[in-house]
Amino acid sequence: MLTMLPQQLVNGLTLGSTYALIALGLTLVFGVLLIPNFAHGELYMLGAFSTYALVGAGVNFWLAVVIATLIVIAIGVVLDRVVFQPLEHSSSLSLMIAALAASIILQQGATIAWGSEPRTTPTPIPGVLRMAGFSIAYFQIFIIGVTLAAWGGVWLVLNRSRLGLAIRAVAQNRGAAQLMGIELRDVRIATFAIGALLGGLGGAILSANFPVYPTMGINPVLKAFVVLVLGGIGNLWGAILGGLLLGIVEVMVAGYISSQLQDVGTFLILVLVLLLRPQGLFGRVVLER
Amino acid sequence: MIKTPKLAASLLLALAATSASAADLVIGEIHPITGPAAFYGLPESQAIKAAADEINTSGGVKVGGTSYQIVIKTADDQASPTVGVAALRKLLGEGAKFIIGPIASGVAPALKPIIESRPDVVQLIDGSIADGLTNGKTIFRNQASVQAYNDALTRLTKARAYPTVAVMTDRFHAGFMGSQKSLVDTLESQGNKVVAQEYHKLNDTDFSAQLTKITSMKPSALVLRGYPAEGALITKTARQLGYQGQVIWEFVSPPSTVLKNISTAEMEGVLNAIPPTSQDYVALGNEKALKLETRLKKMFNAEIGELSTLSYDAVYIFKAAIEKAGTLESAAVAKAFTQLKTTDVPMAINPYAPGADGLLFTDGQVSLPGGVQIWKGNGWQPLADLKPN
Repeated sequence: MLTMLPQQLVNGLTLGSTYALIALGLTLVFGVLLIPNFAHGELYMLGAFSTYALVGAGVNFWLAVVIATLIVIAIGVVLDRVVFQPLEHSSSLSLMIAALAASIILQQGATIAWGSEPRTTPTPIPGVLRMAGFSIAYFQIFIIGVTLAAWGGVWLVLNRSRLGLAIRAVAQNRGAAQLMGIELRDVRIATFAIGALLGGLGGAILSANFPVYPTMGINPVLKAFVVLVLGGIGNLWGAILGGLLLGIVEVMVAGYISSQLQDVGTFLILVLVLLLRPQGLFGRVVLER
Repeated sequence: MIKTPKLAASLLLALAATSASAADLVIGEIHPITGPAAFYGLPESQAIKAAADEINTSGGVKVGGTSYQIVIKTADDQASPTVGVAALRKLLGEGAKFIIGPIASGVAPALKPIIESRPDVVQLIDGSIADGLTNGKTIFRNQASVQAYNDALTRLTKARAYPTVAVMTDRFHAGFMGSQKSLVDTLESQGNKVVAQEYHKLNDTDFSAQLTKITSMKPSALVLRGYPAEGALITKTARQLGYQGQVIWEFVSPPSTVLKNISTAEMEGVLNAIPPTSQDYVALGNEKALKLETRLKKMFNAEIGELSTLSYDAVYIFKAAIEKAGTLESAAVAKAFTQLKTTDVPMAINPYAPGADGLLFTDGQVSLPGGVQIWKGNGWQPLADLKPN
């Protein structure tokens, strides 16, 4: 049993890093704009499909990732403008319904454009690193690296730039930020663009690891919402740690208890966190005034 | 303008005569035309239309003195039970009494109570392999049962004498889950010790936990029971984790779908234990299969699908039953199904093994021999030493 532990931990970290990568964009948009963007899964899907299509057309994988991410940023900004901005002053229920509607429309659009058959982009970094207690594909190491780099990049933007300062100000107190002369519209566009960038980048990279199909975003976005609850909404570091924790829990349940209970483990931990620490494992209690 | 009542009457008579000579026989078909299983369903739907076209151009279905032209009505179940039920209700609402399909093992059980509540409806299942679907009265199946799949697999594992086997099954596949215990019992009884039974589900993307466990047990063979996209990903992950035994699939897997998810090098040598597919018949030079392939190309510019010959056969089985019944009345057609002999369907491509007295169906189920394919190059090839019985 214990001989498998190093490999299972590596499996958990690898899986968790994919959850974290998707959760990063979601937590940013949710934390700053208070939009439960279920369509984030479709931005992820569009990043994957765009990369697959570009690689299929002969474009180099890395260039395809860049182009696909830019496409998804544009789609994300349009999505915000068309779907969420008109509902800016509506209830959170309206926003949630709008997000679900956008999610379904994007899925159907992808089905019409590409069909529903699963496909995978050829892995750009082949090979497996084999160590004494575990093995891991080089591309999976790259995914973990991208997740950490994405976290680092977002942290730098939020903490070392004027835009980041404005975003944090809006997240803390929208009214006060506006009084200080921060243009809410610009912050909104920038936040959505960064969120879409993270979703698109995640899909573009993971298209070489997971099958690509129109509804591929549903499960990851559900898991990403679990990660948000675990890590604390709007907490970037929480998204990373929450993602890794969720990945490890899922793998341990499947590996040591039963693979039939893998999803049960996910949602059990969600219920436990909601009961014992509703602000998330790494979140802070916020008083509403 | 019609000038005289005489001319009007002549025109009406001519119209009536035209209607009688072009009598229609409606057959409804339910398959996943869109959705995650469309790569199975669309070629099946096309094969049904190809068979109907072939029958219509060669004189139609002859009942009494009338030649009926087959009209195919298509309903898309998207491989979803809920959508499937709505699709069936739509077909019944449009007057279809003869139904071909479905393929999804989740959809077929959902349709069964509706079909059984309508004694005027006859169903021929051309895809789903799940147990307990046929009733031998109004529901028949010309696809192999899951037992035939398992027989092909256990023949292979016995012939290769694998000392240890691990089984990984899609836990939402009704057919595979329903037969899991009997498969494991058979494997154990013939000396293939089952060291692990793990599970996954459709659209899963991570199988590393299960495969780490399996790899640590070093089974001689890893049997995968599910769908092609997951099968490809499991095969890739197993190799990454260092599994070196024989990978055996037990599901219909069109090469075009497989190759969208895994490279040819990673697939080389993987075995598939299932009854022969349409592409096997084409590869073996079966003339009727080659003719169907040409017709599909001409009509739809489409390749033959793995299950196309079953769907094609289904239309000819309906033709044979209706002609044997001598009427379109459903009860008589259902009875004719129970009396059909394999020799009554000479156009059938699949080599259905005759039951008692040469009957095609036994309790509503045909008998199709199992076989084994091996992946070589860009696709499956029948394995020479384990061809169908």
